[in-house]
Amino acid sequence: MTSALSVLRAAGYSIRRGLQGMRETPLVQLLAVATTAVCMLLLAVIVLAWLNVRGVFQGFGVDVPIAIYLAEGAPEEDVQQLRARLEALPEVDRVELVEAEAAMQRLADGLGGERSLLEGIDAKILPRTLELHLDPEVPEIFSHALAQRLEGFAAVDEVALAGAWATQAHTLIDTLGHLVLWAALLVALASIAIVWNTIRLAVYARRAEVHILRLVGGTTRFVRGPFLVEGALQGALGAAVALGLVYVGFRAIEPFLREGLSFVFAASSLRFFFPSEVLVGVALGAGVGVVGSRIAAGRSIEQ
Amino acid sequence: MGPPSVEFAAVTKHYGRASQGRAALADVGFRVERGAFSLLLGPSGAGKSTLLKLVLAMEHADEGTIRVAGRDIDRLRKASIPFLRRNVGAVFQDFKLLPEASPLENVALALRVLGAPSREIHERSAHALRLVELDPEIRRPSRCLSGGEQQRVAIARALAGDPAILLADEPTGNLDPRLTQEILDLLGAICRRGTTVVLATHDPLVRERVRFDQELHLQAGVLVFDSTVGGNAKLAETRRKLGAVA
Repeated sequence: MTSALSVLRAAGYSIRRGLQGMRETPLVQLLAVATTAVCMLLLAVIVLAWLNVRGVFQGFGVDVPIAIYLAEGAPEEDVQQLRARLEALPEVDRVELVEAEAAMQRLADGLGGERSLLEGIDAKILPRTLELHLDPEVPEIFSHALAQRLEGFAAVDEVALAGAWATQAHTLIDTLGHLVLWAALLVALASIAIVWNTIRLAVYARRAEVHILRLVGGTTRFVRGPFLVEGALQGALGAAVALGLVYVGFRAIEPFLREGLSFVFAASSLRFFFPSEVLVGVALGAGVGVVGSRIAAGRSIEQ
Repeated sequence: MGPPSVEFAAVTKHYGRASQGRAALADVGFRVERGAFSLLLGPSGAGKSTLLKLVLAMEHADEGTIRVAGRDIDRLRKASIPFLRRNVGAVFQDFKLLPEASPLENVALALRVLGAPSREIHERSAHALRLVELDPEIRRPSRCLSGGEQQRVAIARALAGDPAILLADEPTGNLDPRLTQEILDLLGAICRRGTTVVLATHDPLVRERVRFDQELHLQAGVLVFDSTVGGNAKLAETRRKLGAVA
């Protein structure tokens, strides 16, 4: 209990001293946060573009290579039997049964702001669907062969294959995903370098204090704590500023995108980051700041 | 009785390569008993500061064994060194205070590292300042205090954690004779409270100004005199060593 309280008190000291350290050098902090924000702005734009492109393609159904539209009034027993047989195929990854209401909800979600177009339409006009997700290694020829066989079943009304364009869409999403990863890595490295440099200066400016703390028995964690807080705040603020700027930019161009690409965004609503994603972004910024400050306050603190 | 506060056995310390130049400390051995006032005399460059840094584990010996309160500090894990330092207060010629912080804040620093509650930090810091006859209510930055007052703050900080040993490295080096006497009297009083005091100084006149239990003389890194060891024979031996390393 006493030990836990001591840790809490040490954490409290780290936060107070970290904030005080930032107040002592406002210009340096401003520069660090601004440059970190510029780096993270780039990443935020790429991630947002990737999320929206992926959303558009998902709206068009690229994630479902084979959609089996069930015949109206098909007996439940036949449907379940068909599902069980499909699930038993080694090439099939999973099978999902989508009810008409769920399909209507998806359609409404895809239309986003235009969902009012569906008002008054009964969900029952949409067929029940079995969505087949195949193993990624399965060749395209298998999809065609399976579709042909499935059309012979009484419970099946129609089979839709996503086709070659879905493969290309996947490739595009994957490429963008890789771009996001590389951008994230570069931005993380650049942000770490910025925070590292700032904290290194802070450690140098407060070297007398660090020396005294070591002299009176401060543990490495205790001495390092305020610098980690400082770095975490720099990273978090940089990420928050970047996300704020992206939000302003997004709201500014959103009407033009909707108007110019109305066909594309009819299938998937153009969107900004969800609040939870914003929190994750800020937390990642803080994490990057911690890494940068941890490296900067490494050896010099331990001596 | 317990183990000695500080014990050196055949300790040698070089800076840089051992093969180049003379040793900062060469084959030094002595012990300071618990509660003793030990005077470490020697000219500048004799190795006094190196010796104190070794006790604080701020430097590591190349050879030999150093025990502080019975613990071999070379065997301490890195993470345990801060806990050793909490038991060994240190005072320096240049005070090593935070210049913009008040005396109370400076003293409180030694208690913050212990994770003590705020109220306890305040009470113990104020108590330590009163022990060195300073007003805890002084709000001025420490840099605005006189040299003697700053050294008192440094001593209060060293005492705040109630260490068993107090090391003082030229604590009167920057002070006039009146303030020097005040600080020496203070160190004497601290020793009488049961704290082991090791006072390092280049000034031989300090011998006349303070009551001490042990006198150690360092010269060119060699311990040439230890008043607690059979005087003349030891002196001859250490002088021979000094001749060998000079």
